[in-house]
Parts: sequence; C-alpha cells; structure tokens
Amino acid sequence: MSDDKKSDSLQPEETRSTGSPLSAKCGPRTDGAALPVAVGFLSMKKPQGFFEERSLPTIEMTPGHLRYLSRRDVLLFGAGAVAALAGGGFLLPQDTLSRLGVRRNMDSRGKEWFLNKALRIDDDVAEALYSGNRRVPTYTKSQITPLKNNYNGATPDPGYISGWNLTLDGLASGLGISLDIRNLTTRFSVHEQITRLVCVEGWSAIAWWAGLRFDDLLRAYPPMSQAKWARVESSVNLDASGNPDPYFMSLDLGTARHPQTLLATHFNGQPLTVDHGAPLRLVVPVKLGLKNVKAITKITYSSEEPRDYWAQYGYSRYDGI
Amino acid sequence: MSHSTPPASEPNSTSTMPEQPGVLVVKKHHLLVRWSHWLNVPILLGLILSGTSIYWASPVYQHKPDPNTANFDVAADIGTWLCAHLPGLHHYSSPPDWIYNHMSLGPGMLALALRLHWLCAYSFMLNGMVYIAGLVMGGGWRSLLPRRTDLFDALRMLRYYLGVPFAKLIHREWLHPRFNSKYNALQRAAYFSVPVAGFLSVTTGWAIHKPMQLHWLAALFGGFDAARVWHFWLMWLFIFFVVPHVILVFADGWDTLRSMIVGWSTRVKRTEPIANER
Repeated sequence: MSDDKKSDSLQPEETRSTGSPLSAKCGPRTDGAALPVAVGFLSMKKPQGFFEERSLPTIEMTPGHLRYLSRRDVLLFGAGAVAALAGGGFLLPQDTLSRLGVRRNMDSRGKEWFLNKALRIDDDVAEALYSGNRRVPTYTKSQITPLKNNYNGATPDPGYISGWNLTLDGLASGLGISLDIRNLTTRFSVHEQITRLVCVEGWSAIAWWAGLRFDDLLRAYPPMSQAKWARVESSVNLDASGNPDPYFMSLDLGTARHPQTLLATHFNGQPLTVDHGAPLRLVVPVKLGLKNVKAITKITYSSEEPRDYWAQYGYSRYDGI
Repeated sequence: MSHSTPPASEPNSTSTMPEQPGVLVVKKHHLLVRWSHWLNVPILLGLILSGTSIYWASPVYQHKPDPNTANFDVAADIGTWLCAHLPGLHHYSSPPDWIYNHMSLGPGMLALALRLHWLCAYSFMLNGMVYIAGLVMGGGWRSLLPRRTDLFDALRMLRYYLGVPFAKLIHREWLHPRFNSKYNALQRAAYFSVPVAGFLSVTTGWAIHKPMQLHWLAALFGGFDAARVWHFWLMWLFIFFVVPHVILVFADGWDTLRSMIVGWSTRVKRTEPIANER
C-alpha cells in the first residue's frame, strides 16, 4: 500500500488522476503508468437530437495495457470458438458427422435428451399459442388446390372398405362401441369447410372437406371423465413394401373439440377415395398434415398421452400449427 | 500482433517512466453486441444447414418431374449440372444430392433437421434480444440509423470501391472518402438491414411454423406458401451479406477485427480534436 503511494507521488500530475472506469479492471498490471486515463469525448459538439449519433467514448491507455486486453479477449474468444465448434459439432446428426469424416459414434443419451428438450419447448409454445376459439382461415371453391396422396408407404387395398367399422374405446360407459359408416353419416349433422392442410415437409394444399364434427362424436359417446387424449388409429395402413403398418396418432381432446376438427367422409364434394382415407378420415387443420389420419379404424380415449407414430422417428408430438 | 508496436512504446517494468506514451482508444462495440455478433456465427450456420435439409423435403423451386429421372427439384438439377461440368466432380456418387451434401446436414433427415432448426431458431431469437440490449446499453443503435445524406454518401463509397482496383493497377493514390460518423453510408445500410432481415427471418419463420394460430402473420407475407419463399430468400440475404462482410473486415485490418473481439479501436477520428474546445 505504502509502496503504491510512493510510486504514485513520483508521477506527474496528469497520469495520477485515477477513478477511470477501466483502472479497476486492469488488475494483473501493477505498473501505475499502465492505468488508462479517460480523456473524454473527442468530438465536443453537443448532440442535438435523441436520434443523433453520439461521439464514441475515448480513453487513453498504454499500448501495453491495450495489448494485455487484446491478448486476454482474443484468448477468451478462441476458447469460445473452440467450445462452439465442439458443442455445435456434437449436436449434428451422426450421418452428417460421418460425412465430415467423424468415425466415432457421437450419439448419446445426453444429446438426445437435449435435442428433444428443444422439441418439447417448441411443443409447449405451440400449446400456449393454441386457442379453442380461434378459427383457421377458410377459402372459396376457386382457391382449392390439388392435394397429393402422401400416404405413408403404399395405398391400402380397397377391400377393407366393405367391412369397415369405427371402434371407440375408453368411453365413460366403460363399453367398447362399434359404428359403421351409415351410423356416422345419418346420426350426425354434416359440416363443410375449405381449409388448408399443411404438411411437415413444407407443402400445403387447400381442400374442401365435409363430415361430422369430432366434437359431436365426443358429445354422443362421451369419453371417461379423466380422459385428456385420443389415440386415433388406422389398422389398414401399409408400409412402403406393402406390409401392414398400423398408423396411430395422439390428439389432445382440446384440439379434438375444436369446431373445425372434422371426421370427414367427403373430399371435394365426393365420397373419400382410398387415396384420401375412405371411408372416414381425420381433418384437423390446426395440426400438421401427419395428424390427419386416413381410414380411421379405432379411437381410444386415455388420461395419459398415447404413443405417436412419427415421434419414434424424431418428430414432435403435439404438432400444433 | 503484440510485436507490431515499436520498442519505444514497450511497457517498462519501472513505474516511474513519466514519458510512457499512451494510445488513444475508442470504445466501438458494447460487450453484449460483441457476444451476440459472434454467437450469430454458429447459430446462423446451424439455421442454414438445417434449413436447407428442411427445404429438401419440399423444395420451393420445382418443375414438372423429369420423364427419365423423375426429379422435380431445381437444387438437384444444379447439383447434377455442377457434377457434369466441374472438373473433379465427374465421379461424384450422387450428383442430385450434391447441393444437399454440401449446403445442408444432408438429404433425407427432415426430423433431425427440424429439431436442430427449432433449437437454433430459439437461440437466434434470444441472441437477437441480447444484441438489441447491447445496442441500447452502449448507445450503438444511433450509429445504425439511416440518414438523409446516405444515398449520396453511398454513391461516394461505391465510386471509391469501384476505383480501388483501377487505382492499384496504375499506382495512383485513391483516397477513401472521409466521414464524420462511426460507419460510412454503405456500412450503415448493411448493418441496419441485417438486423431487419433477422427480424423478418424470425417473423416469416413464425408464419411458416404456426400458419393457423398466427394466420394474420402468414397473411402479412402473402400466405403460408409465400412466407416460405420470403424465408428462403432472407437466408440468401444473410449469405450475400456475410461474404463481402468477411472480405472487407480482413481488408480493413486487425484493428477492425479486434474491435469486435476486444471492443476497443485505436483508430480515433481526429476530425474534431479535443484542443478545439479546450
């Protein structure tokens, strides 16, 4: 302390002024002459308006101190760049890494957990954005666009249609119910809508649907009181090589009750074709296309979130759009 | 870098050297601006790579399927063309995938790409808020605002850039126009439009991501399909910005690069010396 004072007093007047904001930061430098000294603003013109550019704050420091700051920050920067490279590289898919020449398998449970966490956060955001009162835009018939058959795999053999039934499970009555297509089309009022179907792949199509409201089915056959989810399933779905590949989707009951969520029987004014999921398919415009299950054969209500076909391939589960 | 200064200004071990010459340094970038600036590098890289993998699943630019190859993707055509015409690429295993193998995570990985894209997109939005906080706290936002004289000054800068190679060729002196502001008009236009492009990328992204709950936002960009086109070209805007940005920083020298790492620059504008008012 006393040594400092002694050396201080040996300095000329101007370098002795302390209290500049930076002097506190340059700890490792002990030589007093290295203390930067604020000299104020170079441009003395008073700023005229709130939006007018101010002069940049100027201080005087020794070249040594500037070098010390530069060295310290460049080293920190380099460490950060290496960390970002390693962290970012670690998060890349294994296929991408092997293309870059990484032989080791970098997949780990921690990585999956972290990436799925990002997916969950996004699902939570989607759920927060959803409003049961908000209707999706509807279009006119002149705005209808072609809808491609994006059946996952192969289109099923139409033979299933003649013996088709819709099974309901997890009802308040505790019974399983089986309905044929005539039950569904005669008991419930028909609703029509021209809405946009948005695929996870990025394409979209405007299509004209008609059918019953999912909400009306829920009222006619109420699910058990603790039910929060519906598992919507099609047992006739095939995989790419034509083998049976049951398709199943989770749908929260909030979305199922949305007035524009239909169990459609008609597409563009005609009964559904096999391509589009005859005789009954889900049309849920507030969800991605992959939730719009074709050729539904079974709906099961549950309190726990059911499994979801695409979630096992790394897609999200809520899929609200 | 540390050896570039003449030995006369080397810091002396004795603290009693009164003649120690100081350098004037000017604080150019707030800590938060510097941090968010560099964080944008991995985040934007992740967004572009995963975004192009997402683009692969349903390309914005398509044509009728080719009768022979059934290909409909313009990006695949470009890959095929490159492999057919560039030396060294003639034996590339799958020419239609060339673009996706070099500008994305790879073809056929939509789910993984979406997951990474959301992670990077949320990071990008948080980082944007850090950047804005840094601009406000450091007052740097004022230097980015467009001015009335910008059009004329931008033309002066363009004239300078166009003349540089010619002047170098005939060994003539070619002076950089002088400006009394932190940035010249061209820099200001670029540094103002890039945050705007970032904001538009985020908003078009939300319009694509939530076209039903945020259908008004999608409508603002002309609907869901048009918002995808916007989003695609905004990516190119970043790429078109980054290339000259990096070239000019290295052309400008260490001081400019250092100011974005350390925050300080030794290039103090002496247009209005202190002595004037003292």
